[in-house]
Amino acid sequence: MASLSRAWAWLRRNALPIYAGLAVAYLLIPIVVIAVFSFGATPKGKLTFGLDHGFTTEYWRSAFSRPDLNEALFTSLRLAVLATAISTVIGTLMAIALVRHKFHGRQLTNLLIVIPMATPEVVIGASLLSMFIYYTLALGFTTLLIAHVMFSISFVVVVVRSRLIGFDRHLEEAAADLGATPLATFRTVTLPLLAPGILAAALLAFSLSIDDFVISNFNSGTTVTFPLYVYGVSLRGVPVQVNVLATMLFLLLTIAVMLVLWQQRRAERMTAVRPQPAGRPALAGGSA
Amino acid sequence: MRAQAKRRSGITLVAVLAVAVVAMLGLAACGGGTVGGGNSGEATTAKGGPATGKLTISNWPGYIDPGKNGTVAEFEKETGVKVDYIEDINSNDGFFGKLQPQLEQGESGGRSIFVVADYMAKQMHDLGYLQEINHADLPTVFKNLLPDLQHPGFDPERKFSVPWQGGMTGIWVDTSKAPDIHSVNDLFDPKYKGKVTMLDELRETPALVMLAEGVDPAKASADQWLHAIEKLGNAAESGQIRRFTGNEYTEDLTAGNIVAAIGWSGDASLIENPNAEWRMPTEGCTRWSENMVIPVGAPNTAAALAWMNFVYRPDVAVDITEYVEYISPVNGVKGLLQERGSELAESDIVFPTEEFTRNCTGQITPPELERVNEAWQEVLTG
Amino acid sequence: MSLRQRLVPYWLLAPGLLWLVVFFVVPMYFMGELALRSGSLTSGYTFDWAWSNFPHSLSGHTEQIGRSFYYAGTATLLALLIGYPLAYAIAFRAGRFKALLLFAVIAPFFTTYLIRTIAWKTILSDSSPVVSVLQTLSLVPADGRVLATSGAVIAGLTYNFLPFMILPLYANLERLDLRLIEAAKDLYSSSRQAFLKVTLPLTMPGIVAGVLLTFIPAFGDYVNAQILGGTSQAMVGNVIQSLYLNQRNYPEAAALSFLMMALILAIVVAYIRLAGTGAFMGDEDEEAA
Repeated sequence: MASLSRAWAWLRRNALPIYAGLAVAYLLIPIVVIAVFSFGATPKGKLTFGLDHGFTTEYWRSAFSRPDLNEALFTSLRLAVLATAISTVIGTLMAIALVRHKFHGRQLTNLLIVIPMATPEVVIGASLLSMFIYYTLALGFTTLLIAHVMFSISFVVVVVRSRLIGFDRHLEEAAADLGATPLATFRTVTLPLLAPGILAAALLAFSLSIDDFVISNFNSGTTVTFPLYVYGVSLRGVPVQVNVLATMLFLLLTIAVMLVLWQQRRAERMTAVRPQPAGRPALAGGSA
Repeated sequence: MRAQAKRRSGITLVAVLAVAVVAMLGLAACGGGTVGGGNSGEATTAKGGPATGKLTISNWPGYIDPGKNGTVAEFEKETGVKVDYIEDINSNDGFFGKLQPQLEQGESGGRSIFVVADYMAKQMHDLGYLQEINHADLPTVFKNLLPDLQHPGFDPERKFSVPWQGGMTGIWVDTSKAPDIHSVNDLFDPKYKGKVTMLDELRETPALVMLAEGVDPAKASADQWLHAIEKLGNAAESGQIRRFTGNEYTEDLTAGNIVAAIGWSGDASLIENPNAEWRMPTEGCTRWSENMVIPVGAPNTAAALAWMNFVYRPDVAVDITEYVEYISPVNGVKGLLQERGSELAESDIVFPTEEFTRNCTGQITPPELERVNEAWQEVLTG
Repeated sequence: MSLRQRLVPYWLLAPGLLWLVVFFVVPMYFMGELALRSGSLTSGYTFDWAWSNFPHSLSGHTEQIGRSFYYAGTATLLALLIGYPLAYAIAFRAGRFKALLLFAVIAPFFTTYLIRTIAWKTILSDSSPVVSVLQTLSLVPADGRVLATSGAVIAGLTYNFLPFMILPLYANLERLDLRLIEAAKDLYSSSRQAFLKVTLPLTMPGIVAGVLLTFIPAFGDYVNAQILGGTSQAMVGNVIQSLYLNQRNYPEAAALSFLMMALILAIVVAYIRLAGTGAFMGDEDEEAA
């Protein structure tokens, strides 16, 4: 009897962590499925449910053997890199202005940043299409790039902003006290400490761009991005290589995140010589 | 301080709005104006010449023999033209929708050939999106084109279309689960509720339903079309029909999600289910053909024309037919298949006899198209 | 402050604001303009103040609109119920695993949206072991299926938008001062009372932000309905997509999108009125405000 009540007590105490474990498992199910089925042998090279045809690494070895898939992936990567570069720069500048400066129209700016994040992609995609139709502009890589930058800016601003807010100004003040100009301070103190936040924002922008299906579907014309390619083949049999590449992409981004986190730890240690305000967890953390 | 700040932000707001309105009016004045309406003016004729460079073709999936020994590879070897063969057409309407803004402007998105159904080719031509083809540039084509495809209703002089493959729409059946399905009417049997899919093409599914009720689609009135559409709508709502699909029914058959589907005769290469077989409905099928067309703004018409000649050589056409199992428009394919001892030579699906398709109808465009299409779209979008 | 110094923020903001205005705000105008045209693809769309497009687009699709509210609402509720405890656990019980858990929350983003949803389609297909288990547990009728039902679409929406719910919740929970809960306990409140009277009200801004960021995109989604749904699961997004890309009925498509946008704006503005843009952006510590 005593052991039962003890077991029950243990359960109650650890209910939350157990639940968290289950929830995380739920979040990761599709990823596991995707990875596992990249190893399944199939007669015609199309994805079927079940490993009953056996286990094979064939598709990993021939991962890049489909030219149309490769081209779509390459297009997506090119698009994502460009969109990330542009939106990260633009977004960081905006975040700095929002946090560090006074200006008129703050409310309007906030509104303009927040609303695109909340707008359904259908509406964004459709409205862009409306504009492009009106001016009979050719749809393609450029229109995609425009769209991708647009929806990434808001997210970059939010991420960099949250990092800036938690920023300790003492180091910058110290640099100024030691005679550094504002620009030098920015370059040697602010930017390096801000780097993890900017990297996190860039990573987010990159993921959003690679991930995007709806807006691209409306505005790509005949350019094929990776998600658009997947959509096309999903209607008639997904080649297993898609799973392989998706798993590779996942691993790549995971490594990138690890790097960002490691950078963050380094930055935290660099600034660890200041007193913590009581009751608050370490400031330089926060969601990626 | 607060009040002052509020007033200032209020003024900012008004100023911004004023600027916005002026800007909008400016934008509206300096661009666009006409939307849609198609290209007016004379249709251009595709230029011939020696084939070089790069050729981009858009086609349906499963419509060519792939791989290192496939037709594309052979063509590349023989002519030196680099071919970008893209299987991005999953439905006529969908593809048209994607391309329309560019075609409107005289651009083809880099493609020199599309393969679309008869009615879509006609639609594109009427909108001025296609180039015309000079028969003198296509000697092999017109030497080998089957006689009964030479003067079709939608393009009597074959000015803008060249047949690619033909096919039939009937019923794919998973014989291990539903061996007794032989008619479209069987698809409405409640014991198969939720295990049946149908095509989302207006000219196929409602037409087949009408055939199954003894109505000839070619002579049906708009109301008869609407009646068939209503029947389909009810079946969809009750859950009898699981989904309306383009190519995706092949996925559902492979995954075992359905026991039967209205589908296309040659899709065996896309279905990984050994028990699936295509059946001619007892009341008849719809016969159709898809056509190669050259769009406006095609970057390499010379190579496109060379491609067309190439695939009309019987020795090339037979390879395609052997893989895709659709109906070839090229004369002499059957003979070659017999020589190879292929059982496809006797297949009803690849070489349907008059007898086999006696009840079949072509792809008919319904009267009062807009009204009927709207009703159909309502059914499709639930 | 010199004039140059005062202009600095405007220079910093200019590129972003310009991009957002030209490529977000202006297209909305064009969508509205397109909505006021009538005609067809073959005859051309002429601008003739066709206000009727607006009510017409609504009346033809009330079923899908209602369905979108139902699916998105249910998905949001489920996401909240699933996500809140998880966010709480990450914020207060995670210890060294915090970063790892947060990573697990955003990990789904690293596989494309489409592939995740297709993976679910495979997992929930009629012949899969998962469905068999659900059937044995009587959660699904013995001859029933999961795919092509409302349940599948809602499950897909919940899964895909769960991170959008968890992250704002977490960001908010992280700032919670645990000493307040200690104080409540010192004053003899039970765990449950402490939660209801202290934690919940204080985390309300996070909850509202999470709800908005989940409900609104879910409302306009069409991918889940298309891949996981059947004939009777079409949402507003599917209708808009069909109208634009399949039927090329641009005026009606634009009218419907425009109305949806207006609805969303109304919701967002109402929230901002109540809580201030600051709260939405988590602005409590904004320096220059």
